[in-house]
Amino acid sequence: MDDFEQELRQAFERRPAPPNLKRKLMDRRADQRRTQQRRSHIQLWQRLAASLILVAVVSSAAEWVRHEREEHRQGEAARQQVLTALHITGHALDHLNTQLTAHDRTEQRQGDRP
Amino acid sequence: MADDWQSDFEQLVDDHQSMVFSIALRMTGDRGLAEEIAQDVFVELDKHLSKIESPDHACFWLRRVAMSRSADALRRRRVRSTDLWVQFEEHHGAPVEVRDSPLGARLELLLATLPEAQRAALVLRYQEDLTPEEIAATLAEPVATVKSHLQRGLKLLRAKATHHLQEYVRSKKEYIRGV
Repeated sequence: MDDFEQELRQAFERRPAPPNLKRKLMDRRADQRRTQQRRSHIQLWQRLAASLILVAVVSSAAEWVRHEREEHRQGEAARQQVLTALHITGHALDHLNTQLTAHDRTEQRQGDRP
Repeated sequence: MADDWQSDFEQLVDDHQSMVFSIALRMTGDRGLAEEIAQDVFVELDKHLSKIESPDHACFWLRRVAMSRSADALRRRRVRSTDLWVQFEEHHGAPVEVRDSPLGARLELLLATLPEAQRAALVLRYQEDLTPEEIAATLAEPVATVKSHLQRGLKLLRAKATHHLQEYVRSKKEYIRGV
């Protein structure tokens, strides 16, 4: 290493940092931590709110599906009842028709007798 | 032992603030900017503290980040089309400490006139006393490139220093003659 390089080494000695660098840095670090904490609190509340909304939406959807199924089931039951009623009515009408026919025949026979 | 080492942020700031600040100052030539860079570097360190494995690793990491942050700052300045080194001469050249040697006092100013890559290599070589291999690792460049930057930078700086020294001697002689 020659004289010039020795000179360079002396000229390029480390300079002391400004005296308030560490204090500024620590203040900035504390500020960042506070901001980060605030942000994480806000994020926590946002997540909670989003979860509640999601739960509400899912439960509403589930309730709607359940309600639809119930309505469908009740509709089916009503349809079955109407069909049964129609079947019974049809059967009763058939029976009545048979009786009326029998009655008409009896009356006709009695009218034919002298 | 590296395994027993517990990173203490405040201790790291105490130990390395002068190194980080000096690197940033010599790379940017701006005291205010250097202080800002030093703060950014340590804030970054705080975020990565869990990944730091030993005091040597911390030192290496800080040098590397200080260099890259300084390069970023210089790039931003270039984008803004500001002639940093004119500013350096005008605003930050004056308070350079008076040293025993007139050459020593000028060397820092002359360093600022070198190309960025050569300046980085010289700062790490003569301020941090690193070998070309260590500089190459810090700057993530091939050793041959670093050696070339060192040689060229040294040659250029020597030539500039010789010229300035001659000017200095001439002005001193004129001053003495005048008195």
